[in-house]
Amino acid sequence: MDTLADTTLLSLDALSLARGRADVLDNVTFTLGRGQTVGLIGESGAGKSTIALAIIGLLRAPQVALRGSIRFDGVELTTLPESEYRRLRGNRIGLIFQDATAALNPCFTVGAHLAEPLSRHLGLQARERRQRSIELLESVGIGEAALRLDAFPHELSGGMQQRVMIAMALACDPQLLIADEPTSALDVTIQAQIMELILERVRARAASAIFVLHDLALAAQVCDRVVVLYAGQVVEEAPAAELFADPRHPYTRALRACSIELGERDALVPIPGAVPGLEDLPGGCRFAPRCERASARCAQTPPLVTDGTRRIACWHA
Amino acid sequence: MKENRLPVFSVLDVEKRFLLRKGRNGPVELRALDGVRLDIEEGSSVALVGESGSGKSTLVRLLLGLDRPSDGRVLYDGGDLQQVLSRDRARFAREVAFVYQDARGSMNPRFTIGDIVGEPIRVHRLHPVQHIPQRVSELLERVGLPPSVAVRYPHQLSGGQVRRVAVARALAQQPRVIMADEAVAGLDVSVQASLLNLLRELVAELRVTLVFVTHDLGVASYLCDRIAVMYLGRILETGPVDAILQGPAHPYTRGLLDSFPRFDRPLRAPLRGEIPSPVDLPAGCRFAGRCPCVQPRCTSSDPVAQPLPGGRLVACFHPLSGQSGPT
Repeated sequence: MDTLADTTLLSLDALSLARGRADVLDNVTFTLGRGQTVGLIGESGAGKSTIALAIIGLLRAPQVALRGSIRFDGVELTTLPESEYRRLRGNRIGLIFQDATAALNPCFTVGAHLAEPLSRHLGLQARERRQRSIELLESVGIGEAALRLDAFPHELSGGMQQRVMIAMALACDPQLLIADEPTSALDVTIQAQIMELILERVRARAASAIFVLHDLALAAQVCDRVVVLYAGQVVEEAPAAELFADPRHPYTRALRACSIELGERDALVPIPGAVPGLEDLPGGCRFAPRCERASARCAQTPPLVTDGTRRIACWHA
Repeated sequence: MKENRLPVFSVLDVEKRFLLRKGRNGPVELRALDGVRLDIEEGSSVALVGESGSGKSTLVRLLLGLDRPSDGRVLYDGGDLQQVLSRDRARFAREVAFVYQDARGSMNPRFTIGDIVGEPIRVHRLHPVQHIPQRVSELLERVGLPPSVAVRYPHQLSGGQVRRVAVARALAQQPRVIMADEAVAGLDVSVQASLLNLLRELVAELRVTLVFVTHDLGVASYLCDRIAVMYLGRILETGPVDAILQGPAHPYTRGLLDSFPRFDRPLRAPLRGEIPSPVDLPAGCRFAGRCPCVQPRCTSSDPVAQPLPGGRLVACFHPLSGQSGPT
């Protein structure tokens, strides 16, 4: 009985975002189904974090010029008043940032951080908040949770701070979790624990998640679908397994060729040139100046074409 | 061509303790290094690998003579490092170059790139002053930068470019050993790949000894021919890269390898918990608290490094044999 509207939680349609003269996002389109995880990958400046910030309404007019549409659970977000947005953020949309040390307020205890969404969105009283906070900390693998409520962020390790931020993000049972590089500041053994934890919590609630990642192998393992971005545009999108087994866009291939695999001794192949500045983007295909397959045709912007389960924007794919 | 059987550096049972406070029951100390042994052979490239707090950077500081060991000795060319430094610090500083983690922060913002790369040449009087600009151009070209960047300032360059300048500055002093602390961390994959390729070429071409600190096993395996895995102030396993990747002997090494994201295998979190505090080290093996193969003996006595075939050492009572991870 599922209709498209029921299975889609979030859809971005032709979303463009400009900051002054810089075209940060251009015509970004993708959808996220209920219970799905999608990964955004690409080099710095690709617009990955900008998409995350735009969805949660932290980049809005007049600071930026936004065009296109972001629909979340049937509601258009680009025109949503701030007062309504505040009911979504931290409630139905949870957020995990890269730098937990910066995202936690050094003057507030762990308990105060967790209490805020519980009181603001759920209206819980002090006793219930405390009980729920302890449960949340336990659910993210923090021992002696009752004692930790009184700890300040600096008294915790980086991994523990990240767990606290995950507990905050999950406090109100969000339908959508956005995690912007949730583990890139962490050691690899802690990264594995934290990613496992996030996935387990997301699946247990049948929630959806957007992961902003730079590690391709990690994206391959934690995402259902992966969107590859370059200089603010979607260049390829496919189910994760398919994308990495058979990358078709020259940029996806190039990214794959310069990612280290454990034990790989064959020379990595870097991508020639650098990501263009957002204020002077090349016309046509933005990757063309660095692309080994570029031809005269690439002076025209390639459309994002659907091919089975995949979408790809390249004249030569 | 010098025929030298002595290792460039020998680390002999080195301890490094930092006093935290004078407690009521004696001083409270942090043991950053606790019984480290390591030989670094001339011409080899060694990766020091481990999580935050394992003592990698402290060990490099001791090798550079920036800190003294609390116990044990560091030998350079067979001589005690402290004596080498008091005899001829300038020579040591010329022979051993360091590439900092924060490349931009390691450069004087008022210096041009030309000044920065030329400084070691001038200080160590390696070329006549009038030849320095020419030499700087050559070095910049060698690291893949246009010589025209010599007139620019560090803030005008991208993150990848300043790392290349840092490498050019290290090469400028014609070093015998290059040490680098997380020199490719925090870069985009493409920029990281080209920097790693550059370092690999330079090591092969100049036959320089490389000591590379990294938390990234992929980087370590790409760049170096030996790995030393550190944990809580000690080296748990050393050996050739391929042997360790194919058959880690220490359970911690296997845990690290299995935690590494791969395209061909689902992500797993084989190690629970976090690295414990170096203030009170556990009795027995320091990894016992997180070890999936712990035995009663491991919590009572501390394993010392035992040799394995193939030039490997492992500090474990029950070293693993066979392939990495369950099939």
